[in-house]
Amino acid sequence: MNKYEVTLQTAVAPTRGNHSWKSASGSCALNEPSRRQTRTWRAAFSVTANRSACLKRILVTVFATMFIATSARGDTGQGAPDVTAMSVEDLMNLQVTSVSKRTQKVADAAAAVFVITQEDIKRSGARNIPETLRMVPGLEVARLDHNKWAISSRGFNGRFADKLLVLIDGRSVYTPLFSGVYWDVQDVPLEDVDRIEVIRGPGATLWGANAVDGVINIITKPAKATQSGLVQVQGGTEQLTSDTVRYGGKVEDKGYYRAYVKYFDWASGNAASGQTAADGWHQVRGGFRSDWTLSPSDSLTFQGDIYNSREGETLTVPTLSSPYSNTFQNVGHYSGGNLLGRWTRSSGDSSFSLQGYFDRTNYSDNSLFVDHESVFDIDFQHDFHLGNANEIVWGVGYRSIQDKNVSSFTVSVQPSHAQYNQFSAFVQDEVNFLDSRFRVTFGSKFEHNDFTGWEFEPNIRLLGNISKTQSAWVAISRAVRTPALTEEGLRLNDVVIPPGAPPFNSPLPVIEAVFGSQQFKSEDLVAYEIGYRVQASNSFSADIAAFYNNYTNLRTAEPGTPFIEGNPVPTDVVVPFVAKNKMGGGTYGIEPFVDWKALSRWKLFGSYTFLHMNIHKNSDSLDPTPDLPNGTNPEQQFYFRSSLELPKHIEQNLVVRHVTGLPSLNVPGYSSLDGGIRWTPAPSWEISFNGENWLNSRHTEFAPDFVNTLPTVVGRSFNLGITWTSGKR
Amino acid sequence: MTRGIRILWVSLVCSALAFPCPAQTADSGDSSEYLIKAGFIFNFANLMQWPVNTFSNPDSPIVIGVLGTDTSGGILDEVLAGKKVNGRPFAVRHLKRGMDLKGCNIVFVSASETAHLDEILHLIRNLPILTIGETPSFAQRGGIINFIVVDDKIRFEVNVEAAKQADISISSRLLALAKIVPQADGSKVQ
Repeated sequence: MNKYEVTLQTAVAPTRGNHSWKSASGSCALNEPSRRQTRTWRAAFSVTANRSACLKRILVTVFATMFIATSARGDTGQGAPDVTAMSVEDLMNLQVTSVSKRTQKVADAAAAVFVITQEDIKRSGARNIPETLRMVPGLEVARLDHNKWAISSRGFNGRFADKLLVLIDGRSVYTPLFSGVYWDVQDVPLEDVDRIEVIRGPGATLWGANAVDGVINIITKPAKATQSGLVQVQGGTEQLTSDTVRYGGKVEDKGYYRAYVKYFDWASGNAASGQTAADGWHQVRGGFRSDWTLSPSDSLTFQGDIYNSREGETLTVPTLSSPYSNTFQNVGHYSGGNLLGRWTRSSGDSSFSLQGYFDRTNYSDNSLFVDHESVFDIDFQHDFHLGNANEIVWGVGYRSIQDKNVSSFTVSVQPSHAQYNQFSAFVQDEVNFLDSRFRVTFGSKFEHNDFTGWEFEPNIRLLGNISKTQSAWVAISRAVRTPALTEEGLRLNDVVIPPGAPPFNSPLPVIEAVFGSQQFKSEDLVAYEIGYRVQASNSFSADIAAFYNNYTNLRTAEPGTPFIEGNPVPTDVVVPFVAKNKMGGGTYGIEPFVDWKALSRWKLFGSYTFLHMNIHKNSDSLDPTPDLPNGTNPEQQFYFRSSLELPKHIEQNLVVRHVTGLPSLNVPGYSSLDGGIRWTPAPSWEISFNGENWLNSRHTEFAPDFVNTLPTVVGRSFNLGITWTSGKR
Repeated sequence: MTRGIRILWVSLVCSALAFPCPAQTADSGDSSEYLIKAGFIFNFANLMQWPVNTFSNPDSPIVIGVLGTDTSGGILDEVLAGKKVNGRPFAVRHLKRGMDLKGCNIVFVSASETAHLDEILHLIRNLPILTIGETPSFAQRGGIINFIVVDDKIRFEVNVEAAKQADISISSRLLALAKIVPQADGSKVQ
């Protein structure tokens, strides 16, 4: 098991969406529906629509085709093809209609794992990584404006949500600045994504601190799987354009590589009030990946990316002079790059890997903050069998973080130039009992960081194979979230109360400011989880996970002693709120999902999320924020998708989803109907047309925290994409 | 918005009602993985030759031992029932680890035996048995043919040295379609 990939049993190379119908037996064509059937159906389905005729026509077509597909099942009298009458060449052309890849891949994981396959990405019409995450049970995905997202797992959502670890090909993309993710600069050409593995719950042992409530691992295809040229052009209403060119090749039989360039541009949206916002953005990015076989047992991967991005927002900041607050269009500029190398040697029953990467992120913004971050990370992992029943994985790692920043009136982080070291080690033993019927995995991660010293994160998991098709698991883990740079050295001026104004009636302006603290401790979690999986047949699989999380030492902002600033003449009074760890409580939830291939051409997927949060301040906390139920997270979410293969290589997808409201942020719940079609007129061409929020239920999904960015509305949007690939793909 | 949602729910309900009983949806025109592999195994038997004295009579059956958990639910038995190759019928036996494999002409090692591959291959290494597997390193470790799935299609790898050691000759037509795999270091069949 490789730390950089979830436990997988098979080495199956997943596919790019190939829904070809052709089989040697030629039995796949649908019969034409009889006229009589169509007319009867139309009479039965009457839509009293007050909406546009266009929408009615769309819905009628959608459900007409579904019904036709359904009633034309009479073609299947012949059953399975006679494989003994087929030649080897014919057999090699047959498509294996596998059970849900999703369940197959995670069948042995004693954790709440969800895999987003390349097929899922295409069917969802997602334009970027955050949009692909909406289908995952247990994740909250809220779009703040066109370029900012609040994404979390199992609670505590926010733009700077800090309990989720995100990796791209083994490289951690969470920023130590606020222990969160700059979603606006994590981008990978979606065509080259092999899969996205999401583990809800502590991934602590293998991935370490800050993987408290989840780990998202975005895995790109090996270079060998992208050996062709690819040109993709997209155009639409919110995402004005997104264009990718990629080329793949090989070096004799020793190595494979690919390189890409991508550009995208998003328009600005509208605020809830209707005014045009300033959240347009554009980004240019390029990168490469190469995989080398140095010997039958040694392989090397080398990859890197660079990017440059400009994005806007409507920002409100406090000022020290009348009118004491300023709202304006702010432009942020990101640039950066990364380089990663990984050497893996596997021989017989053991393997080890050595990985090093360098990541640089530059953020500069006229009015808020300038930050330059360099991360250098080196990691070693060894995997071996001990006897017949034990598989042991252990590893050590070192990370160096260098931060250089320039403050503004609103945001300042001290020290402005610093270097931090982190050391980590982990060990895990997986023991098989009763001929692999039961498996116990236990282990721990040990970390040392410059703020809190040593941290220890043990966990224990048990997986049982109840039968050939069912398995269940339980787990208990401890996870910590170590302090971020901001929690140690931030000063954020939140709001300025004008002189003479209540509640202070002070002669000087009063700044309410949030401060970090050197005494800030790690946040702590003990998680109790349970899950069950069933693969009832070739066409039905279901998975359900439930958890109870017990948190302590969660961050609060405790009022401190006000002080006067200004020398020699006082300019303002500061009312400080200092970061402390005086909150705790429990959360629990349940996350089922189902994959059902209702017909060989009709696949259904559904997921549901329930989350209840009972988090409250300790009795000695004076933080003025009220304890709000469920905080910034919806109590329920629902996602349903239907994918229907039609004749002439057309696939039609329909998504219905619903998210309940966030009362503490005054954000109401919303529903969205998304969908589109995908057409493959020839093997090298794919044309897709997708719409999000077809019913145009205009809504905002979140409210700003810490930094006062104006949220913009999610309305109806369309996206048309054309993809051409050369050669054999 | 509420009107739109109402239409939506009406539509979904209508389509649900129009939908026939899901129980009827069993493998209609689907080609399951093991069905295809069974087809391959039939073809392999046709495109290879065992050493001269392997079969006692011209109509002695080709014995296929399925070793390990048969996750296909006996599909090999179904597919090969009544079929013949060069006048020989097939006899499929389901074997557990530790049982005698010598009476087989083909041994299909299912994925459940992954942890014991070396042991199994070592046991039958010089015997004229066509070993077929479905785990990633099967061919490198001395198995003769290994099934792999590439892009949702079944492909197969062939270890030519292992075939030679078993004294089995494979038709060049079959080899042309195979991915030839060398014996891995340090785990020689000998």
